[in-house]
Amino acid sequence: MKKLAILAGVAGLAVITMLLASGAKSADDAKLDQLKGQGFARVAIANEPPYTAVAADGKVSGAAPDVAREIFKRLGVNDIVASISEYGAMIPGLQAGRFDVVTAGLFMKPERCAAVAYSEPVLCDAEAMLVKKGNPKGFKSYEDIAKDTSATIGAPGGGTEEKLALNAGVPRDRVIVVPDGQSGLKMVQDGRIDAYSLPVLSINDLIKKANDPNLEVIAPVQGAPVYCDGAAFKKGDEALRDAYDVELAKMKKSGEFAKIIEPYGFSAKAAMSTTREKLCAAK
Amino acid sequence: MEWDWNFVREIMPTLIQGVKITILATVLGSILAAIVGLAIALARRSPNRALSRSVGWFAEFIRGTPLLVQLYFIFYVLPDIGILLPPLVAGVIGLGLHYGTYTAEVYRAGIDNVPRGQWEAAKACNLSGRHTWTHIILPQAIPPMIPALANYFIAMFKETPLLSAITVLELMNQAKSVANTYYRYIEPMTLVGAFFLVISLCSVVLLRWLEHRYGRIER
Repeated sequence: MKKLAILAGVAGLAVITMLLASGAKSADDAKLDQLKGQGFARVAIANEPPYTAVAADGKVSGAAPDVAREIFKRLGVNDIVASISEYGAMIPGLQAGRFDVVTAGLFMKPERCAAVAYSEPVLCDAEAMLVKKGNPKGFKSYEDIAKDTSATIGAPGGGTEEKLALNAGVPRDRVIVVPDGQSGLKMVQDGRIDAYSLPVLSINDLIKKANDPNLEVIAPVQGAPVYCDGAAFKKGDEALRDAYDVELAKMKKSGEFAKIIEPYGFSAKAAMSTTREKLCAAK
Repeated sequence: MEWDWNFVREIMPTLIQGVKITILATVLGSILAAIVGLAIALARRSPNRALSRSVGWFAEFIRGTPLLVQLYFIFYVLPDIGILLPPLVAGVIGLGLHYGTYTAEVYRAGIDNVPRGQWEAAKACNLSGRHTWTHIILPQAIPPMIPALANYFIAMFKETPLLSAITVLELMNQAKSVANTYYRYIEPMTLVGAFFLVISLCSVVLLRWLEHRYGRIER
């Protein structure tokens, strides 16, 4: 009798495990089905042209969302709905289920790779700094800012540049968290900060719009590597990520990928010459 | 997502840095609000119509617009006309001006509460306008309004996270930068709430005492 009970218990366990396993499997597919069903995917962006941009009429563009829109279309999801977020809030927001994917130029770095499931590389860029004309304090690298005890640097909160500056030894109180590009530009013009750091293409876009002859761009920042971003999915949505990667690879091959990102100034070659594995392993 | 006490220990020093700035901003903001409020209340009672009208209009304007918009204006727009304030100073001025327009109403109520006879007595004793205010009216008007003023200062304390929008590294901004670095919101944000709650509760105890001490109007 006892034996029978144990046997029944084991059988029951096996059934539950199978159910759980199949449940997990279908949950993966379910994510894409759910997106197809609702007809749109929620993406996080930062409003930092040319990576991500929101026009005055609310239309979302920029290289990263454009690539995502095309890929989701191919996957059967008609549209993307974007919400603007701070860089630092993107990964927690993704984990909390506020977005389905982050397409914002969130560069791949080992600690981010550990927190999210990245697609293959999409956009690559080096780092730059915006300073006053003639670069009065002679910055070339983040270390130069660390050395000059009166120098301050602005960077997006939770962005790659903030971490690069902190890692180079700039103390926390001299790394000013700047909410958006326009504020950063204004703060350099007003002399509130000595330098404002963003990727090269973003700074170039900013200075082109500002059209201010009293500003200057230092690019690339010495010692800062070239980073690449990818679409970042929640851990557990790997099936969706894999489906995304397949379409991305097809577009890279057919040249459509280059057609989307090159008008924005990004190099398709740079993204195609590296892989997620390499970037996530890099120090 | 679960609670991590080690993480709490790790981020505590950073958050305490933020608490200091938050308290500093509140204290300085309160002092400014108390002064601005008194100035507005006095100016509105001025016999000079132009002065009382324009100050009244100014106070209505400040009270009718959001503090966040005012902070952005002070921080990002004033430099265009050559006024460049450091973030904390800009924040204190924003808080002080905004709450000053509210405390002005408290002053007004306090002054109105001084019996008419006191004014008449001052006149009868041939006291000058200045003497009437400093020796008769204000000493009687201010003590009963201390609890109401303190109430506004506690409210102001809870508004200080808005200063994070103009890059002041106060408690909320520190918590955000911690969250940005570790991708965890639960501990930093819970701690921010806890800090605010503890300080507010302590202030409420102080407020009760003030009410007990000064709240009764002696006639």
